[in-house]
Amino acid sequence: MSPRKIWSVAWKELLQSARDPLSLGMLLGVPCMMLLLYGYAVNFDVRHVALAVEDNDKSAASRELVAAFVNSTYFDQVADLPAGADLRRLTERRQARAVLVIPEGAGRDLAAGRTVGLQLILDGVDSNTATTALGYASALIAAANGERLSEAGGKVQLTPIDFEPRVWYNPELKSTRFLVPGLIGFILMLTAVLSTAISVVREKERGTLEQLRVTSLKAGEMILGKTLPYLGISLLATVLILAAARFLFGIAVSGPYLHLFLATLVYLIGALGLGLLVSSIADTQAMAFQAGALVSMLPAIFLSGFIFPIRSMPRALQIITYAVPARYFNVVLRGVILKGAGLESYPRDMAFLVLYALAVLGLAYVRLARKEA
Amino acid sequence: MHELLAVIVKEFLQLRQDKKMIPAMIIGPLVQLLALGYAANLDVAHVPMVLVDQDRSPASRALVERFTGAGTFDLVGAEDGPDAVDPWLVEGRAQIALVIAPGYGEAVAAGRPPRVQVIADGTDANSSGLGLGYAAQILAGAGAEMAASRRVPGMALARTGRYELVPRVWYNPDLKSRWFYVPAVLAMVLMLVTMILPSMAVVREKEIGTLEQLSVTPLRSWQLILGKLTPFLVMGMLDMLLVTGLITGLFHVPLRGSLLLLAFLTFLFLLTTLGLGLLVSTLVRTQQQAMGLCIFVLMVPMIYLSGLIFPVENMPRGFQIASYAIPVRYYANVLRGIFLKGSGLDILWPEALALLGIGLTVLTLASLRFRKSLE
Amino acid sequence: MAAPALEAIHLTKRFGDFVAVDDVSFEVREGEVFGLLGSNGAGKSTLIRLFCALLTPTSGTGRVLGIDVARDPEGVRRRIGYMTQRFSLYDELTVRQNLNFFAGVYGLRGKAKAERLDWAIRMADLGDKEDLVTRSLPGGWKQRLALACSLLHAPRLVFLDEPTGGVDPISRRRFWGLIDSMAAEGVTLIVTTHYLDEAERCDRIALLDQGRLVALGSVGELKEVFAGRAVLEVACPRFLEAQERLERQDWVHEVSLFGDRLHVVVDDPEEGRRRILALLEGEGNTPVTVERIVPSLEDVFIHSIEARGETAP
Repeated sequence: MSPRKIWSVAWKELLQSARDPLSLGMLLGVPCMMLLLYGYAVNFDVRHVALAVEDNDKSAASRELVAAFVNSTYFDQVADLPAGADLRRLTERRQARAVLVIPEGAGRDLAAGRTVGLQLILDGVDSNTATTALGYASALIAAANGERLSEAGGKVQLTPIDFEPRVWYNPELKSTRFLVPGLIGFILMLTAVLSTAISVVREKERGTLEQLRVTSLKAGEMILGKTLPYLGISLLATVLILAAARFLFGIAVSGPYLHLFLATLVYLIGALGLGLLVSSIADTQAMAFQAGALVSMLPAIFLSGFIFPIRSMPRALQIITYAVPARYFNVVLRGVILKGAGLESYPRDMAFLVLYALAVLGLAYVRLARKEA
Repeated sequence: MHELLAVIVKEFLQLRQDKKMIPAMIIGPLVQLLALGYAANLDVAHVPMVLVDQDRSPASRALVERFTGAGTFDLVGAEDGPDAVDPWLVEGRAQIALVIAPGYGEAVAAGRPPRVQVIADGTDANSSGLGLGYAAQILAGAGAEMAASRRVPGMALARTGRYELVPRVWYNPDLKSRWFYVPAVLAMVLMLVTMILPSMAVVREKEIGTLEQLSVTPLRSWQLILGKLTPFLVMGMLDMLLVTGLITGLFHVPLRGSLLLLAFLTFLFLLTTLGLGLLVSTLVRTQQQAMGLCIFVLMVPMIYLSGLIFPVENMPRGFQIASYAIPVRYYANVLRGIFLKGSGLDILWPEALALLGIGLTVLTLASLRFRKSLE
Repeated sequence: MAAPALEAIHLTKRFGDFVAVDDVSFEVREGEVFGLLGSNGAGKSTLIRLFCALLTPTSGTGRVLGIDVARDPEGVRRRIGYMTQRFSLYDELTVRQNLNFFAGVYGLRGKAKAERLDWAIRMADLGDKEDLVTRSLPGGWKQRLALACSLLHAPRLVFLDEPTGGVDPISRRRFWGLIDSMAAEGVTLIVTTHYLDEAERCDRIALLDQGRLVALGSVGELKEVFAGRAVLEVACPRFLEAQERLERQDWVHEVSLFGDRLHVVVDDPEEGRRRILALLEGEGNTPVTVERIVPSLEDVFIHSIEARGETAP
């Protein structure tokens, strides 16, 4: 192992990637775009559900109820429907996600102490939004009932159980706080795997890899020289993402930075190893791109718990997720960034990450070194 | 007509010969379908729960049973005091902690409101939010039963009128998120087959020089464009049938509307994707650049900002307005409208018009650019 | 006299500041084999692409078979054949599928198509190779298939842009046999090439340098630039030093380096020989040989370019 030789390969690699718009775009453009998308555009925080109201009563009580819905900011009233309106058409056209139907005589019945049935029709297509909206509506109705009771002078508690919900680490339950740490794992995996795989295969295609092999460069030196620059660039990307998370989205790292760095390093080494492994299998850049995207992107999005909870998956898929490093990295990252925990809380996850990195690197080394002979 | 046919026949022969194209057309869609069908699931179930029961009375045990009996919460451990909950949540062994304070049973017996605390790990905002909602429902149910059995304060309840919420969920009564995600696969598959692949096929002719060879023949540029795109149109329509079959057969998502209408509106959507593929091919020099541009500049933003996965309604106003320019937005409406709502053209005509308009515009622009790029 | 098959009238093409073809004018007669010579980037391919209507000229006019290229590009394309060194074929299709495709593109059908396909297979000698995948063919076969594809519509004029690039010498000779037989049938051929031995087989050649036409004529005519002068080939140990010394002599017109030998242009061969020997021997750089040679096209080429360099501002 000669540091000098490794450095010369690494420097060449840096020069090349600086001149290649595609890899530059991938290393810088894709993370920026993803960050903007996840930071600003996409989230699961349901607010302003489009609500149409069919108020068949038009009493003071019914108006008060509608006002309670609108004032909650969970619902926006988008239409005031006449009796017998075509609700199907309305929901099919997606003009309203929910329709509240207040029956005729609701105010009178309430005053008379009767129970009034309120129909809430929900567009269930987007099940997540519908479930959340249903929860909001239940809470609003419960609150309205409670108010009526206290107005009636009754000392009776409507909810006989004093429910005290507490949310730790993310009190407002903002999905951005959940998505951004996961995004780091996804971006690093994608850029590290693709950039290494493509850069090695590019040399294969041009025959420069063979050129390098006839020099005294050892396989290990080659591998180190080719991966070190991308390791550096990826770490830099991590810093940039963290800075953006802090200053744009107000997500600060509450755990120790050193632990964050260590976890990221181990994860990245595994990712770069995976890139090398892909490069040892693919013969063309197009193949490397496809294979790299397949093994890095799909698992990192769908099988890592980044967006979709692993617990909700079928058993067989859950087992597969054990082989996805992003799964462990996401747990550690959320812990260190959001929960203020250190690595000592995640010995099992860290052990898996180290094991993965060693296994993948070892496999890549064996494959690349064998070809040298 | 004869020249056009020659191009189409050649394109099909090439597709048949290409060892990489076929897997891309079959395995790609299949993997996406399985991933979205099985993995993409926001439904909350089996939330790991740690219990702190400081009361240890029959009443507290009954409450715990209500939590564990529903299938939403799985009891994974118990601690003596609320302070011991911390590591469970930090390490992610539990997502929710149920804390029943001492004196719960006494309070229930005395008719006083007992206190129950539920602590949720907020890092997974979505499932914790839904989990808290379920917890609230369980507690409300328990409370209502208690009130009914106590009878004493029930007097007041009987005299005061109250609302009762009668929810009706249409189109997806069991609120399965799979029903929301699975039809989206069709849009993704079609983008892959009719946007990325044709753009690469055109760029390949550039790379090997046959495009120049063809441009010195009397072949008109419209014949060349139509000839190159038609096979992908056909493949796209076949993929639509295949994926629709899998969506309904494998994942049991209902197809409530007309397959014919779906085919027609898919055709309109393909005008756009084919046009975008052609447009990309005029902007790049290598197949790889074509793929990179298609995936990262077109497909990813279009998937994210169209409501295909993340609802448009949750986005900031600016992004919502921008989404009107994204053809996938209309196609997403079409898919969910036809599959789940059984909508017809009387409902979906605005989408049809938007797809037609965008499709023709993109295709025309792409064709003009392509013609220019030949010269 | 019949109209020329090909005509360039002050043809100019600029790409931004770069002038790829600079005010070029010439004519090619029907049935002629016309060579375009020049180093890489001299403008040969741009010129051909202008005639194929792949590019539009910045100024000037190009006429192919009497048709103005800018006015009726379609008309031109229907009547010409075009083949480049890349042999732009579909590698994954078979020989017959490629031929079928190009026949379709040229609008051939029915009996005419069958006849032309038979002709093409015979011409390119691909009789038993019809069902082979093009990728598996050796370079020479691919080259002939590419030629056959570009001749399916029986064009009266064919552009061949470095048609023998990367092909073995035997296949090259065979290919030139095909070119000669086409010319005998009255087809006009415009050929660009690097190989000077190939250029010598052309009826006439045009030399291009930095977009400008620097020489035009038959090989014999071009070599006449050396009329009254002689080209001496000198071999000596320190040839670079000798080149420098000789260039400074006023009785030497030109010195150019060919491998490790020098070609020296002088007025009188005998006197030149004496002077060279005297000069170099005096420096202990005694030449091994000083011989008069017949000037090659390469000598002409270098002479033309240097002559132009001297007159240029």
